[in-house]
Amino acid sequence: MSDEDKGGTGAPESPHGRRLDRRDVLLALSTAPALALFGYAWSRQRGYERKLTESVHPARVVPPDLSVINVGLLGVGAQGQVLLDSMLRIPGLRFRAVCDIWKEYNQKRAVNTLRKYKFEVKGYEDHREMLDKEKELDAVVVATPDFWHARHAVDCLEAGKHVYCEKEMSNTIEGARSMVLAARETGRLLQIGHQRRSHPRYLHCHDKLLGEAKLLGRIVTVNGQWNRAVAPDIGFPERYAIPADRLRQYGFKSMEQFRNWRWYKGLGGGPIVDLGSHQIDIYNWFLGAKPSHVMASGGLDYHDPKTHEWYDTVMAVYEYETPAGSARAYYQTQTTNGSQGYFENFMGDEGTLVISESEANYPGFLYRDPNAPAWDEWVRKGYVSAPRVQEARPAGQEMTLDVRESVSPDLHRVPVVLRDPYHQPHLENFFDSIRGTATLHCPAAVGYETAATVLKVNEAVEAKERLSFAPADFEVGA
Amino acid sequence: MSGDGGKLSGAAMASIVVLRVAIGWHFLYEGLVKLTKPGWSAAGYLMQSRGAFSGLFRWLAADASRLARVNSLTMWSLTLVGLGLVLGCFTRFASAAGILLILLFYLCNPPFVGYFYSIPMEGSYLVVNKNLVELTALAVVLTTRSGRVAGLDRIIHRLVGRRSRGE
Repeated sequence: MSDEDKGGTGAPESPHGRRLDRRDVLLALSTAPALALFGYAWSRQRGYERKLTESVHPARVVPPDLSVINVGLLGVGAQGQVLLDSMLRIPGLRFRAVCDIWKEYNQKRAVNTLRKYKFEVKGYEDHREMLDKEKELDAVVVATPDFWHARHAVDCLEAGKHVYCEKEMSNTIEGARSMVLAARETGRLLQIGHQRRSHPRYLHCHDKLLGEAKLLGRIVTVNGQWNRAVAPDIGFPERYAIPADRLRQYGFKSMEQFRNWRWYKGLGGGPIVDLGSHQIDIYNWFLGAKPSHVMASGGLDYHDPKTHEWYDTVMAVYEYETPAGSARAYYQTQTTNGSQGYFENFMGDEGTLVISESEANYPGFLYRDPNAPAWDEWVRKGYVSAPRVQEARPAGQEMTLDVRESVSPDLHRVPVVLRDPYHQPHLENFFDSIRGTATLHCPAAVGYETAATVLKVNEAVEAKERLSFAPADFEVGA
Repeated sequence: MSGDGGKLSGAAMASIVVLRVAIGWHFLYEGLVKLTKPGWSAAGYLMQSRGAFSGLFRWLAADASRLARVNSLTMWSLTLVGLGLVLGCFTRFASAAGILLILLFYLCNPPFVGYFYSIPMEGSYLVVNKNLVELTALAVVLTTRSGRVAGLDRIIHRLVGRRSRGE
């Protein structure tokens, strides 16, 4: 450093008044090579990570002649945004329209996001106006509050669009029925957003572990839960509040109700429908049956009844007559304690499967009953991981088991990981089905069966008695 | 140090420039990793907050739209501060912003007696952790104007100075 650079703080004392010379420029740019070095290291690291990801999860091959699907979004609140984030990763989609009654916030955000991705999208408040003006739309993705699903889905189907509709299919069985009929009459596709149906881990368990290998033997009991910690009501920026007359026009009494519609009767179905629907759908799917009876206990035990109408705590027991015999399935959801989160636990006479959508918690554990046939064949085929080796305890620390206790079963893992957002495979299945290269994993009729199964729980809570299902409850008829 | 009246020697100032670039590199990488990782969120870090400010940090993570703003602010701040420090561009502003960011990280998960966290740390700390060390290192960068010695500030400072005198 020159003397000039040795000021009181080490900075040049009097830099003004002197023309910039070559030395100034060189010193000014002297740290820029570090940025170039960073760029080189960064690109090497990115390449390494990409290679690693592709080796575990091969990239989806995009055919060069992939036809483009014109998509409209109907409802772009929190869930709509989740779906949009997934769809932005799917090739072959052209977003044309966004419809949301919260023009000042949700609609604006989604339109801006899509414009950043160079899509020419228009915003709408009224879905009928969108359907009238956007004749080129091939598909509409519906993520509005449950009580709007039937109207929105039916209008879109009748306008000739294929529809992906978030679960719960509808908050009423009549609404769900009208959706099945509309899909049937129009010949358009209607996929219900039970996204676990397309999750590769669930598909692997259903098709390979339960279907082909029958690892669990006969499933006799099932239990599952979605425990969620206490959360404050969802707020909103005051300056973007929707005017009261517009809220009323779309069925909401206030902004608070608009933001927290899931808790209100007539708008949503409460936590059992909101959360339980995903998992009870898996009960039906994995058991290969629909329930014969349900009993349930529930109540608004914790939250403020002024702002919460649905039960915050529900415990339900379903009875099934499966092709293999009787089975009972317990499910609980509560919103006062998030301990152990969410999972489904299928228990057969030869093994147990604990599974969830999450990659962090319960990403597929299998326990082989000590008396069950060996799973070596399935380990060799790669269907399940090798069992975890039990650690030998040091001498003097061995445990004494009571003779009545069962020996611990072997622990295996389901070796399937989803590296994409949870909803992406289900959306891909929808768009592939439109192109004719796949079939829907959760068509309207399946969504209807799940809606009939789940909506009955709230009825059972109210009735305080064991309710039975008739086979006709799961069929739409003509 | 030269030892003559608190002035820094050339070697001392060169060390501070290297320190600044190293911290900038760290910030830049932390920012870019978060920007390019789909679905990255500060939720876990915020929700496990301990200490006097834990209520504030958990409140930040409690609402989805608020959390989304916190996430993008964190990602972009880290990236821009990193760029500023590496290039010596608006160095004092970048240093001050960096100090504020690290102070928030530190206060969110302070390594005080009896506190423990579910997100594992790679070392063992009591009161002083690497966040606090990086914060104090940034304080050195902030107070020594290293950007005017080696960095774009050398040009910016002179151009702004000349313009302000109407040259």
